Amino acid sequence: MTEQKRLLIIDDDPDFVEGIKSILDGAGYNVEVAYNPKTGLQALQEKLYDLLLLDIMMGRGAEGIMIARKLRKDPKLREMPVLIITGIREQMAFLFPGEPVHPRFVAVDELVEKPVEPTLLLEKVSTLIETAEARKTKSG
Amino acid sequence: MAMAMNYKDKIIIIDDEEVILDSCTQILQGRNYDVSTAPDGMQGLKLVEEIKPDLVFIDLKMPGMPGLEVLKHIHDQDNTIVTIVITGYATVDSAVEAMKKGAYDFLPKPFTPEEFRLITRRGLERRKLVVEAITLRREKEMLRENFAAIVSHELKSPLGAIQQNLFALSGELAENLSESQNARFERMKIRIDDLIKLINAWLRVYSVDISKINESFTSIAIPALISKAIENVEPHAVRKDVHLVTGIEEQLPLIEGDELSLVEALGNIIGNAVKYSFAGSQVTIKSAEKDGIIEIAISDTGVGIPEEELPNVLSDFYRGNSATSDESSHGIGLTISRKIIEAHNGTIIVTSKPSIGTTFTIRIPVKKNDG
Repeated sequence: MTEQKRLLIIDDDPDFVEGIKSILDGAGYNVEVAYNPKTGLQALQEKLYDLLLLDIMMGRGAEGIMIARKLRKDPKLREMPVLIITGIREQMAFLFPGEPVHPRFVAVDELVEKPVEPTLLLEKVSTLIETAEARKTKSG
Repeated sequence: MAMAMNYKDKIIIIDDEEVILDSCTQILQGRNYDVSTAPDGMQGLKLVEEIKPDLVFIDLKMPGMPGLEVLKHIHDQDNTIVTIVITGYATVDSAVEAMKKGAYDFLPKPFTPEEFRLITRRGLERRKLVVEAITLRREKEMLRENFAAIVSHELKSPLGAIQQNLFALSGELAENLSESQNARFERMKIRIDDLIKLINAWLRVYSVDISKINESFTSIAIPALISKAIENVEPHAVRKDVHLVTGIEEQLPLIEGDELSLVEALGNIIGNAVKYSFAGSQVTIKSAEKDGIIEIAISDTGVGIPEEELPNVLSDFYRGNSATSDESSHGIGLTISRKIIEAHNGTIIVTSKPSIGTTFTIRIPVKKNDG
């Protein structure tokens, strides 16, 4: 493994976070957690992460969407890949299962539904990071 | 009563006799009431608008605006305000008239302080009941309207968290688990997965207005539709050792529809066929066109459905009781499928023979060529 990738999870359900974090820890990622949008945004301002895992339904509503919107406007954070993990795929787009949804909140994003199978989770995480890095090398 | 600690019940007394206003105010003094008075109907109504009272006493016989009219205006403004009329001459007629117009009770003059206190207390109790009933009704309405969101958050979140930890734990413990412990982990995951799917199915019934999907119809190719539906069911079929076989006529015309919901409908029916099939058997999905109608037939050689049960299969919440194992089934899936197909101007019928098998036949008209 080259250098350890840094991931940030923003999700307000500690039990869910533990489940997902231990899978990512086990795969060798350096995982940090913010349990609310405010500390999450703060962490994103202070440090650089290779990927953000973002919950949608937090606090009083779909606060995850607000975060995604803010990231999109931030020139520094715009390129960071985001994996949206949500329990409300259907309500978000009124869609039926069977098709991946790409909300395109930010430049690079993917959406998986809670709960997410470990292999799928790790695959999405590594693909997103690789894609983002490939793009960086290309443009830099 | 769960009111705010410093909440004072607000009472307004409207009467042209100053002595009544004074004595009534005095009688209620020292209690947790906020008492205001007005000498006539006009000023009384202004006060009602201003302080939004819980209880209003209205003298029926006043110069200017008559008491009955004051009463009507108050109820027009807010019919949760409790009103009690004061009748100067204790005629039953005027009291009855006032009660008909929405007054809660009447108080004949002259009255004793004790009578006044008592009727005040009763009026305020009435008000609390009215307010509570309204709150409950509002909550019930909100629950209905937001059912999808509430269910999804309150039920799906904890299940998702449990499942996520089962995923993590079974991976982390894999090396130390015996075969049977591992199998139990897998069964738990399947059970929770079934629950999550069931909740999703309920959500769709309650939150998606299937009759409106025709607002977003596009052209759809049948082969792609069928292969997507099969993709969704394949893992289940592989687990059960049931083979999915297709026979699709070439050059099938397009249909008009909502692809995601059709994939769902078809997936449900194929999944149902797999569920009631025996290991090693096969489910066939055939499609052909006849007279401008696309026909998709899904057949299994499974347990079959008794004739008397056939009419129920596609109605709300049918659940077969002859499943080959203790597999959970939610008949709700077939109901949704029927609704989706009907929203595409299609039909679905089922034919079956016990111990021979079941065939679901979907018919949807081909896309019309404009011009």
